[in-house]
Amino acid sequence: MKKLMLTLAISMMFAPAAYAADAPATAKAGAMPAYGKDKPIPTPKIVKKTLANGMTVWVVPRQGLPRVDYVLAVRGAGYAADDSAHPGFASLLAGMINEGSARRDSRAIAEAAQGMGGSVAAGSYSDGISVQANAVASQAGAMMSLLAEVARTPSFPAKEVELAKANALQALRAAEATPRFRAERAINAAVYGEHPYGHTQPTESAINSVTQELLRTEHAKRFRPDRALLVITGRIGEAEAMKLAQAAFGDWKAEGPALAETAPAPRAANPARILLQRANSVQSTIRVGGPGIQASADEQVPLRLASTILGGGFSSRVNINLREQKGYTYGASAGARMNRVGGAIVGGADVRNEVTGAALTEYFNEYKRIGSELVPADEMTMNKRYVAGGYLISNQLQGAVANTLAQNWLIGLPPEFLGQYVPLIQKVTPQQVREVSKKYFAPEAQSIVVVGDPAAVSEQLKPFGEFKVSEK
Amino acid sequence: MRQLPVLLAGLSLSAAALAAPASATGDKWDLPVATKKLDNGLTVIVTEDHSSPTVGVSVVYHVGMRLEPKNRTGFAHLFEHLMFQGTPNAPKGVFDKTITGGGGRNNGSTRADFTNYIETAPASSLEPILWLEADRMKTLDFNKDTLKNQQDVVKEEIRVNVKNQPYGGFMWIDIGQHAFQKWENNHDGYGSFEDLEGASLDDVRAFHRDYYGPNNAVLAIAGDVTPAQGFALARKYFGAIPARPVPKGGDFSEGLNKVEKRVQQGDALAQVPALAAAWKMPERGSRDQAAMAVLGELLAGGDASVLYQGLVKGRELALNTDVLFGLTSPWEFDGPTLFTVYTMYKPTTNADTILNAMDEEIAKIVKDGVDAATLKRVKTRMLADWNNGLESFISRADTLARLQTLWGDANVVNKIPGWIEGVTSSDIQRAASTYLVKNNRTVIDRKPIAMVDKVDVIGTQTAPAGAQTKPLDGARK
Repeated sequence: MKKLMLTLAISMMFAPAAYAADAPATAKAGAMPAYGKDKPIPTPKIVKKTLANGMTVWVVPRQGLPRVDYVLAVRGAGYAADDSAHPGFASLLAGMINEGSARRDSRAIAEAAQGMGGSVAAGSYSDGISVQANAVASQAGAMMSLLAEVARTPSFPAKEVELAKANALQALRAAEATPRFRAERAINAAVYGEHPYGHTQPTESAINSVTQELLRTEHAKRFRPDRALLVITGRIGEAEAMKLAQAAFGDWKAEGPALAETAPAPRAANPARILLQRANSVQSTIRVGGPGIQASADEQVPLRLASTILGGGFSSRVNINLREQKGYTYGASAGARMNRVGGAIVGGADVRNEVTGAALTEYFNEYKRIGSELVPADEMTMNKRYVAGGYLISNQLQGAVANTLAQNWLIGLPPEFLGQYVPLIQKVTPQQVREVSKKYFAPEAQSIVVVGDPAAVSEQLKPFGEFKVSEK
Repeated sequence: MRQLPVLLAGLSLSAAALAAPASATGDKWDLPVATKKLDNGLTVIVTEDHSSPTVGVSVVYHVGMRLEPKNRTGFAHLFEHLMFQGTPNAPKGVFDKTITGGGGRNNGSTRADFTNYIETAPASSLEPILWLEADRMKTLDFNKDTLKNQQDVVKEEIRVNVKNQPYGGFMWIDIGQHAFQKWENNHDGYGSFEDLEGASLDDVRAFHRDYYGPNNAVLAIAGDVTPAQGFALARKYFGAIPARPVPKGGDFSEGLNKVEKRVQQGDALAQVPALAAAWKMPERGSRDQAAMAVLGELLAGGDASVLYQGLVKGRELALNTDVLFGLTSPWEFDGPTLFTVYTMYKPTTNADTILNAMDEEIAKIVKDGVDAATLKRVKTRMLADWNNGLESFISRADTLARLQTLWGDANVVNKIPGWIEGVTSSDIQRAASTYLVKNNRTVIDRKPIAMVDKVDVIGTQTAPAGAQTKPLDGARK
């Protein structure tokens, strides 16, 4: 009964022509059918173990395609551990992981992974580095060994280091040409100030100052079993998975003192106004942002739902407003980004020059509205179901499951959060959404970054304050 | 392509599995494929998998950029956008909100030979999804407001992906304009603003009438549904839509190119030079097709590939290498298409050096073939990637619908692994020496504008248009 009412409420809002107010959904021939009965949301079953050296191992056996997925997450090894002279260092460190090991050179590593029908490579995040590997099921053991080999014994060959630096410098030049890269750099700096979360992109001097020695030292400090989680998922039994993990990582020892925990990120910032020059740009790349909260904060669940409602998909408020109603942009989004010790609220769109000011006005209108008016019941329901559906959809992908578990761990969420998330979202009230929105989406708290052509947009930006015009 | 804005870190989650889906023995994986044709010509495919209580749905129409009207470049794609703008029964906004409220995601995209509409959602949304797809197959709400709105949105899409981006998609947009001879194959599928603005409601009506009937479409459903259920639902929602005459397509075939073509472009936004080299592919269904697919993987499939090891590592000339098979894959085309190598190269080198290095690597393959160990590695990765691409229900449904549309046989999905397995070293030698030859090659050298040498247009059949007009336009295509 409850289900039917709920479906009717949604359908009546969206398809008024198809539903007479007093008729049940199924009565009219040719009308849109109601949603069927929902199946229960499956709760993940995670087998957990801690090895003697402090390393955490989680196994999620699955019966899907013939593949195994591994994610080795190393907490505190990411951008937040980079000193101010080496912003973005973690990405170089991660990139060098599979460029040579105690046993193999980079080519041999690449060919070995290829022969297992998979790959092994590391990526960097604010709160950690994760080494991801996958292979066809029959190569589960071989890939586990290869993963341990590259993660534990990278050799950072001098020639590879030089090549990586040279390529990183060129890649930085290429990235600088994209408005998105510049916009992200500026909004992060505006939101986080001097905190390392605000400086995750490399600079030329940071790249130039990297040495083989620095890579070795930092690897030794950052990669340690007591700060590591290994997630194993796919066509592999629990006992077999634990056995492989023990064999590959059991004799790994933590050496020296652990790195300090990252200091909390700021919860407030002076809103900045920045116009990054891009002559002849035919669009403005806009970012609106302010400080948010850490992923483990009490308010994170309502804030996640508020983010979905405001800017999380085709049917989100900013997308409907700026894209479907106004035609200003190909896509608009907004919402919270959460890390281990802090977070950001960021909204953004690329819009044509003439509507740059108008787009900002609409952003702030939506930010204000969600912080002052209660979200209607049908919109709440739609977005809660959207979140639940997303959970089920990503559940199909074993690599995504492994990654989500590892990411959650890096940002300080317990493994149980996976299964709790949808039920928690379902409990959020419109009042809670309004409350967190008022707090975190307050227009007056937002910095504005525009990457565009000053000649075309400066006049439109005047109502939003004094913009500092700069190159970087 | 519509867009899902992705500024936010994913909030996605999870874990748990119920039952084994497709049959999997060792590292092999076979998909069950059930096919039925309705009386109105709609082909329906169901592939069952109850490991997740969700479904993937794809409706593929056999029309793409090749068939759009001549003075309406970009129309097939603009039309794709209009398919989301509502119908008399489900006005604007209903489509997206019904999918969203059902917990689902949707998207669409336009390619040379087809246009696809895809959804994935909890299985409880399957009927509303099918109703919505059938509804917009029947009719659209043709009105000037939504047309204007989507003309604006598509123009923003082109700005964000082409005009405001360094390189402006030259490796997939511009390259075909130079490589192909026939208009159907060589025009800009994103379209000119002029043509897009010129699109009228009559154009929209005609395109929908001509190409969007059930007899020109394939519906595929993957996931938590049985074939019997899937076919019954397809009949329930689509069965009464009458077939409509489909205009006969022309002959789009072209032989291989006989003269190398080289174009230089200046890019006002790029800071690092880049190069795309494209060779015309064998026809779909040709005995060389699988060999080209394996050759492509051998040349540029990841860090172990010949070109990565040869250009990025060994000679240290390039920052990266990537390959494209048109805008789809080596298996999903139905007319002339390209195998394209894309690379960003170092300012300390030049296009000739890059091309010579590629030619050297290709020559080695032609001369010596591929050793057994390497071939085995390449095939193992390819087969694994093929399975990986079918993991999500949405791409599983979409792949089946595409293969049915292009090959007339969705079960090609289970044949491709065998075709890959069957490729020998001599097949690869033959493919390399037949297709990856200089005369069949089209090259665009795209440089930061300051690096452009004004007289440096090489090649015999290139009108200097590429060098004289494009540099001024920068990233515009």
